[in-house]
Amino acid sequence: MDFPTLLNKPYILLDGAMGTMLQKAGLPLGALPELLNLTNPEQILAVHRAYIEAGADVIYANTFGANRHKLAGSGRTPAEVTAAGVAIARRAAEGTDCLVALDIGPIGQLLEPTGSLSFEEAAAAFREQVEAGAQAGADLIVLETLTDLGEARAAVLAAKESCRLPVLCTMTFERNGRTFTGCGVPSMAMTLEGLGVDAVGINCSLGPEELPPLVDELREWTSLPLIAKPNAGLPDPETGEYGLSPAQFASSAAALAARGVKILGGCCGTTPAAITALRTALAALPAPSPRLGRRDAAVCSATRAVPIDRARIIGERINPTGKKLFKAALLREDVDYILTQALQQTEAGADILDVNVGLPEIDEPAMMARCVKALQGVTDAPLQLDSSDPRALEAGLRLYHGRAIVNSVNGDDESLEAVLPLVKKYGAAVVGLTLDKNGIPPRAEERFAIARRILERALAFGIPRENVFIDCLTLTASAEQAAVRETLKALRMVKEELGLKTVLGVSNISFGLPNRELVNQTFLTLALAHGLDLPIINPNVAAMTGAVRAYHLLYNLDPNAQEFLAAYAGTTTAGTAPAGPAPAAVTTPAPPAPQGPDDLARAVEGGLKADAARLTASLLETKDPMEVVNTLLIPALDRTGAAFEKGALFLPQLIQAANAAQAAFEVIRKKLSSGGRPPVSKGTIVLATVKGDIHDIGKNIVKVLLENYGYTVIDLGRDVEHQAVVEAAIRHKAEIVGLSALMTTTLKSMEKTIALLHENHVPAKIMVGGAVLTPDYAKKIGADYYSRDAKESVDIARRVIGK
Amino acid sequence: MTPSPPPAAPLRAPVLYRPETMPPVDRAEVLRYLGYGAAVPDPATGTLVDRCIPELAGTARPRALYAAFPLEKAAPGEPLRLGGCRLTLPGKDIAAHLEGCSAAVLLCATLSAETDALIRRAQLRDMAAGLVMDCCATTWIEQLCDLTERQARPLFPGAQFTTRFSPGYGDLPLSMQADFLAALDAPRKIGLCATGSSILTPRKSVTALFGVTGAAPAESRTGCAHCRMNGRCAFQRKGETCGLSHASQ
Repeated sequence: MDFPTLLNKPYILLDGAMGTMLQKAGLPLGALPELLNLTNPEQILAVHRAYIEAGADVIYANTFGANRHKLAGSGRTPAEVTAAGVAIARRAAEGTDCLVALDIGPIGQLLEPTGSLSFEEAAAAFREQVEAGAQAGADLIVLETLTDLGEARAAVLAAKESCRLPVLCTMTFERNGRTFTGCGVPSMAMTLEGLGVDAVGINCSLGPEELPPLVDELREWTSLPLIAKPNAGLPDPETGEYGLSPAQFASSAAALAARGVKILGGCCGTTPAAITALRTALAALPAPSPRLGRRDAAVCSATRAVPIDRARIIGERINPTGKKLFKAALLREDVDYILTQALQQTEAGADILDVNVGLPEIDEPAMMARCVKALQGVTDAPLQLDSSDPRALEAGLRLYHGRAIVNSVNGDDESLEAVLPLVKKYGAAVVGLTLDKNGIPPRAEERFAIARRILERALAFGIPRENVFIDCLTLTASAEQAAVRETLKALRMVKEELGLKTVLGVSNISFGLPNRELVNQTFLTLALAHGLDLPIINPNVAAMTGAVRAYHLLYNLDPNAQEFLAAYAGTTTAGTAPAGPAPAAVTTPAPPAPQGPDDLARAVEGGLKADAARLTASLLETKDPMEVVNTLLIPALDRTGAAFEKGALFLPQLIQAANAAQAAFEVIRKKLSSGGRPPVSKGTIVLATVKGDIHDIGKNIVKVLLENYGYTVIDLGRDVEHQAVVEAAIRHKAEIVGLSALMTTTLKSMEKTIALLHENHVPAKIMVGGAVLTPDYAKKIGADYYSRDAKESVDIARRVIGK
Repeated sequence: MTPSPPPAAPLRAPVLYRPETMPPVDRAEVLRYLGYGAAVPDPATGTLVDRCIPELAGTARPRALYAAFPLEKAAPGEPLRLGGCRLTLPGKDIAAHLEGCSAAVLLCATLSAETDALIRRAQLRDMAAGLVMDCCATTWIEQLCDLTERQARPLFPGAQFTTRFSPGYGDLPLSMQADFLAALDAPRKIGLCATGSSILTPRKSVTALFGVTGAAPAESRTGCAHCRMNGRCAFQRKGETCGLSHASQ
């Protein structure tokens, strides 16, 4: 018997709980049940035999928590515990048709960004279990009780990369259809199917009576066989005992079979009696009708699915092309800048975010990985990874916990061979550009032919049709006026004849023309009418987002005009309608107001961002930018700093004043760069929360203040490797390295980082801060300065670097 | 204090507690965390607090677990043991805190990973809002602990209880966080884990325990004198407390 053969049965019966049986037999809370594989194998064997007798087609070996993190300190290795567990199950299954599954549960630590375990560390831990289990003779691999889609992906990839056994994966949901980390059922289905698992489903957490809505949703999003392994009801709030009798459990679980679940068993609280009852109940059911899963185009992040059933805006702003500030941010590795761009775009109406971080001077794969990781921590918008470097694409795809879009492949063989295997392996969608090594064909029919070729190659690689999107390429109207209609024609052909979703970068159309916004908006509207699904635009431009909203309204894709009204009700003039909540109101037209220097100081001290920006702009008409900085802004910040020290003013006010100063500095920076003067920086400071520590709010506040005093801050983030601090300090020629640690447990890590800085003769002064630090301890571990709070870090910077 | 007869302490499987309604975030407490003490906040900060409170309430998914364990008499020089689980409670301070107690209730609580992301987003938009959101969450997780404690107390009708004590207080080591969570099956039941450096994740989470005794009101054994931050705490410098111990002072 093997799993593919087993799939010919109408239903597949899994076993019930192992932990419940062991706890009933006296296993203490918090003890590792897997150690019994070595200390009391007969006890485990008896449980397996009971489930086989109950009729289970598959038993789960007692290997759920046999990973290196949970076993740390037990004196046992994952390999020996896993091998022993699989061997016991094999013994139990001897002489029967029952299959043995290697059972793998969560590692027990959270992955980044919520926790500090990296994706590759997780994958490495899973790989150890998979290799041991496969070697010990498991018939299949079951990944279960996972709540983080990232961890599930690490486990699936580890399994797929180190053996050829079938892989089943089930995650644990709460009643609202979300896991603890916020992963939804559609995201799980889409992402895991994309990675090539053999069946997908739900286990633990809820009882069979709570599962129908979740199963119904799951069925809509995948064509894979479905699994349900629910608990024996919900736990009693008084006693923690599970509520359903075996008979009740069996009848509710069998009802799930009628809703399309093929593979059923029991989790916490279930017993052999429940499995016996379930077997009887399933035997009484008619054979299931073949199931056709959803095959519509969609993309997702771990927490949000975006079906492409109407126009979906892809925000184009995360891209350095033609953007000085963005380039500068990339060079100083300012991931926060990129995250801010992401939030502005989603607030303005972007559904998906294009991510392009390519710059010749930087390590693009590393930057792509860093950004993809960070973006997932703050936005639920699915990402489109945009690079011409397949290594950067893979770096991003590996860490992206959802179905991303790869931007892009073209009709050239070299491109197809390099990119499509990645798209297949990571289950992504892909944008195919209708060009090849001969360039962009002028005629629509030729572009269509390339689109067809790309589709055929994608299908040959095993990429499902709905995951192929085509970009018929916008040419600049001012240069090639006749080509505009060819693009639109090709778009319609691809949409109608190939049935594929279409993508188009819109803004190119108007290069070199006056009134670009008008041209862009009109072209966007025309393209939508020709069948454009995924416009790549700047969503912060109200006219563009507005065109998409109006299109939805007019094409009856926005029922009852709900979204349109939500965006525009109450606005009268179309041209001034906001694109969404305005980010920073820097460009607000000035109401009549006083314009004097004192007012700027007052605006900064009062934390009034918009006023500070406006007043700065008007002062710059008559004053030199540096004069404004040195005679107004810095003294205003100093006064708030002094008031803070005296306790006359509090931390939120200090930060708000810094924010207002920031808005003023933005205006000054623009003025300076438009005048061709180099941006002013007083010196470079590298900041990091040390390895092992994930507190960062204190460090982030320090960063805001230092930046507003004109220092260039290289923020390495949190949980930063010792060596990475050294490298950054050298690379950026830092004058100060600021380190933060908030736990007694991570002070050691701070000490190590400092020692490494000294060993490498990094000339920067070292400043440290954090709740558990003292000046004495700071000195003891070799720091040059102890900073009590954010204000003092500015004083130190001034002392070291000068004003 | 005379040792009391142990109250009936039935060992229970960890109980999941998801409050259907949480009390609103305690605004005064948020301002205290922000450093205002009793001072009236400036209007901008006041507005920020009022904006963050409902946003947090709309995003956080508060969850907690608790379970009672009998305390086993420790041999001299040995750490306290809890019956029915593998956890020990090393250190003089916890032994003093639980003196005369027959059982301890372990609890853990979290505001969920979504709260971490919310705070991160708030920081990106505006650092002041990020700070305020952080303090709102710190306040609310303590409120969740209060609620959870109130939920657990009826396990012991008529008993008296000590104040809460957490890993990291006094000489009770932080490094026990992972084992503490395992005893409550917290990673599986509420998605609360510890990192390799014993930091709780999601970030806005707490582990704590309190003792159960039949004696007259248990003498408080928390407070600044027992805190590892004693002498270097920012609240202390201002003549305030962090709130974890103020009730008992």
